[in-house]
Amino acid sequence: MAALEARHRELSRALHPDRHAGKTPAERRHALGKAIEVNDAFRQLKNPLARASALLASLGHAPVDGQEAKPPAELLMDMMEQREALAEVRQSRDAKALDALTASIEARRDATLSALAAVFAEPGTLSAPRAAELMGELRYYARFLEEAGAIADEL
Amino acid sequence: MAYSDKVIEHYENPKNVGTLDKNDNNVGTGLVGAPACGDVMRLQIKVSDDGVIEDARFKTFGCGSAIASSSLATEWIKGKTVDEAATIKNSQIAEELNLPPVKIHCSVLAEDAIKSAVEDYKKKRAARQALGAAEPAVATEESRAQ
Repeated sequence: MAALEARHRELSRALHPDRHAGKTPAERRHALGKAIEVNDAFRQLKNPLARASALLASLGHAPVDGQEAKPPAELLMDMMEQREALAEVRQSRDAKALDALTASIEARRDATLSALAAVFAEPGTLSAPRAAELMGELRYYARFLEEAGAIADEL
Repeated sequence: MAYSDKVIEHYENPKNVGTLDKNDNNVGTGLVGAPACGDVMRLQIKVSDDGVIEDARFKTFGCGSAIASSSLATEWIKGKTVDEAATIKNSQIAEELNLPPVKIHCSVLAEDAIKSAVEDYKKKRAARQALGAAEPAVATEESRAQ
C-alpha cells in the first residue's frame, strides 16, 4: 500500500498541469487524460473489493453480468436479521447498540478480507468461485456499514 | 441516473411492507439477494386453503428499484393463485416500472422472490400432507429445515 501511494504521488507529480504549462495544447490534453487514468486506477487499487475484482479480471475470471452465483441462504437470513436490527436502532436512536452492531460487522468484514487475501496468496491454486463468494459477502458488509454510517450521522 | 415516476411512487409509498409469521403453515417465505449489489429481499405470501394468495408482504434492503420491484410484486400477486403468481416474469415488472438496463436485475430478484415464496409454501403443504394434518407442528419444523 505504501508503494502504491508513493507511485501514485510520483505519477501525479509528473503529470501535474503546472509541469506541462509550456507545452502544446495536445500535449497538455494528453497529460490531463493520463492524470485522470492514474487517479482512477489508484482509487480502484485502494479499495480491497475493487482491487479483488480487478485482480480476478486480470486472471481471466471477470464475472459475467447476471450470472453471479446466488448468495448462500444462511448469509441472506443473517443479513436480513442484521439489517432489521439496524432499522430498529434507527428508530430507537440507540447509539450504543449502533456501535455494537457496527463493530460486529466490521469484525466479520475484516475476517472475510483476511480469508480473501489468503485465496489470492496462492495464484496458482486460485479458486475464482471461492473468491467471488467472499467478495459477495464483503458487498453485504459494505452495504450494511454504509447504512450504519448514514444512521450514525443522523444520531 | 433518474428513477421513473412509478419507481419513486413505490419507493416513497411502498405497498405491503412487513412480515407474516413464517411458521404459519399457510405462509410461504422467499428470501433472495443480489451479490453484485449487496441487496436482500424477503417476500411472503399467505395462501388460503383453495390456493389463492390472500395477503403478501415484503421487506427489502436495497436500492429504490429493488424496493419498487418487490412492492409491485406483492400488489400483483394478491388475489392470484400460487400457480398464476409463479408465472409473473421479471420483464413485466421491469416494463411496468420503466427500469433502465442497469436495474433489470432488481426485477429479476422480485421474480425469484415470488417463485421462492411459492416453492416454500408448496413444500410446506406437501410436508403437511405427507405427515397428515394431525401433526402440523412437526410439518412446520420439517419444511423449515429444508
